[in-house]
Amino acid sequence: MMRSSALTLSVGYVALGLAALMLFAAPLWYAWRVTIDNGRIEILQADAQRLGEVFAHEGESGLRALINTRLNMRIPNERILLLTDSGRRPLAGNLPAWPAALSEMPGTHTIGITLDGVRTRAVMVDAVLPGGDLLIVGHDLARVAPLERYFWYGLAAATAVLSVAGLLGGLMLRRALMSRIHSIRQTVSAIIHGDLHHRLPVRQQGDELNTLSQTINGMLEQIEQLVHGVRNVSNAIAHDLRTPLAELRSRLEELSLTRPDDEHTYAEIEAALTDVDCVIRIFDALLRLAEIDTGMRRAGFTRLDAAAVAAAAVEFYVPAAELRGISLSTGGSAPAWILGDPLLLAQAIGNLIDNALKYVPDGGYVIVAAQARTDGVVEISVSDNGPGIADAEKSKVVERFYRGDQSRGTPGVGLGLSLVQAIARLHGSGLELLDNEPGLHARMVVPGNTAMLLQAERVARGTAPMAGSPAPA
Amino acid sequence: MKVLLVEDNERVAQFVIKGLLEAGHSADHAATGPRGLELAAGGGYDILIVDRMLPGDIDGLSIVETLRTGGARTPILILSALADVDERIRGLKSGGDDYLTKPFALGELLARIDALWRRTQQREDRVTRLSVSDLRMDLLTRKVARGERSIQLQPREFKLLEYMMRHAGQVVTRAMLLENVWEYHFDPQTNVVDVHVSRLRQKIDAEFENPLLRTVRNAGYMLTAAESG
Repeated sequence: MMRSSALTLSVGYVALGLAALMLFAAPLWYAWRVTIDNGRIEILQADAQRLGEVFAHEGESGLRALINTRLNMRIPNERILLLTDSGRRPLAGNLPAWPAALSEMPGTHTIGITLDGVRTRAVMVDAVLPGGDLLIVGHDLARVAPLERYFWYGLAAATAVLSVAGLLGGLMLRRALMSRIHSIRQTVSAIIHGDLHHRLPVRQQGDELNTLSQTINGMLEQIEQLVHGVRNVSNAIAHDLRTPLAELRSRLEELSLTRPDDEHTYAEIEAALTDVDCVIRIFDALLRLAEIDTGMRRAGFTRLDAAAVAAAAVEFYVPAAELRGISLSTGGSAPAWILGDPLLLAQAIGNLIDNALKYVPDGGYVIVAAQARTDGVVEISVSDNGPGIADAEKSKVVERFYRGDQSRGTPGVGLGLSLVQAIARLHGSGLELLDNEPGLHARMVVPGNTAMLLQAERVARGTAPMAGSPAPA
Repeated sequence: MKVLLVEDNERVAQFVIKGLLEAGHSADHAATGPRGLELAAGGGYDILIVDRMLPGDIDGLSIVETLRTGGARTPILILSALADVDERIRGLKSGGDDYLTKPFALGELLARIDALWRRTQQREDRVTRLSVSDLRMDLLTRKVARGERSIQLQPREFKLLEYMMRHAGQVVTRAMLLENVWEYHFDPQTNVVDVHVSRLRQKIDAEFENPLLRTVRNAGYMLTAAESG
């Protein structure tokens, strides 16, 4: 059997409990014995004293009469009494003869004797009377034995209960622990064999094992996302890089087979370069996605004003919008402080604007807003009055390389919204695609940093120096 | 100018060297890290183009670091297949002046080394006025005029024109404009930069006889006083 920490621990605790019980019982036992023995001896000595006084007043015959009278009364638990002459020949009493084990010396002795044919132990006070007669006053210890037995029984029972309950408890604890560890091991082995969906069982009440399970589950969540990201990227590469590469290959192959005139050849080469640029673009976007998905960029987060980043992005796209008579504007300019990567945030907002500009009809509008809400979060949104996205397509458009029916014929590789979503996720948010009735209302709700907000407030009140600076407007 | 290229890939090296020679530069080539460091330490080059990943102990970054530690101030362009933002930052922190990811267009590389060269030339004299032909820019009063006529520019248009005037006579690519004027290091997907440039062109060229802002096919733009490009 494997070593069990629960069992070892419970055996240890039982041993400790027994030791404590003994430490408690031993002085008790000792004190009891001393008190009772001393009391008993005092009583015997007082009895002997009284009998001695009777002897002194009424002589040997008086004492013999008293002893016989006492014995004839057949008092329960009567003492052992014996009067002998100086030659130790019995004169009166309930002891047939002078006990052989009793020493020569007068005093108190505990000895083994035979009483009514039964071996027992007795404590005896033996005294010499004037004139040389000898007197024994004793007490049969067998009579107090039951009381002692109760003590020992009690101690034994306590020991037994402690041991059994302790060991049983240990075993039960071990069973409970083993069953939970077993289920964790089963889950982990399923995960080792490649099924990352499994999670460790978590109970309602949070003990130490539960906390550990929750931590491990969090780690599994992250690993699953990373693996998912890698799988997505490799699928995407396999699926979508093949198309432009196949185009490129057929172009070059045809060129080498047909060997057209120079002018035609150069035109084909230029087209081939465009194909390659397209492949490079997809490649760059995929690598950027993978980079964002790992979460590594979070190390470079700084305090930034999302409103300023949004304003700069709007300014960047305004000329392109104006060409088509689209009104591109910002909604509000109050600072909206968050922790983030300014470059990635600019790219996310830029992609959303770019996406909106693709679909909004000439003369339409696009409004970009980054506003701190009263509950501390910062809402970044791009709304337009274009055709919007049908509910059924909303979850698909953020998938890598997905291109809706409406996007056929527009430039792009179908990674724009995936990038936005990845960037939103990196910033602790998600990309929500809502209906603008009509049009699209794309929104990211980024948690604002409370400490930063406080600092920003102090800056606004002029009580603290400005830390960091927003992107140049 | 005299260029040293440290690049282990023979094909890429040949392609770049040929391009450099055709553009009127002189060029040396080192195929390994130690050889590159040896040539670079010898001095005499106006600009270094260093591939980041080289076989052996000495890679591109350690060449750059060694040179910078030794006090060399020659402008260095780092070439790399590593496109992560973090890698780019590492490259620039180690002492590189610009970072270009592979694969690249030859025009982009030539434009960037021209810009780097120009930057080192301008480092000494702090100009307050720029001029190209009859187009003048005052960096202190932030006024722009062409001939007798004053031209009103938005702040970003001013920055765009300033960058192009500082690199007058050189090709500036769209990526260079994005990085230097807007500080964006991503692909904006659509031709937004072209729209900005054509708006600027409207303001500085539309009503004048000889246009200064030219489009260079397959490369980018050039602001030049020359009659023909």
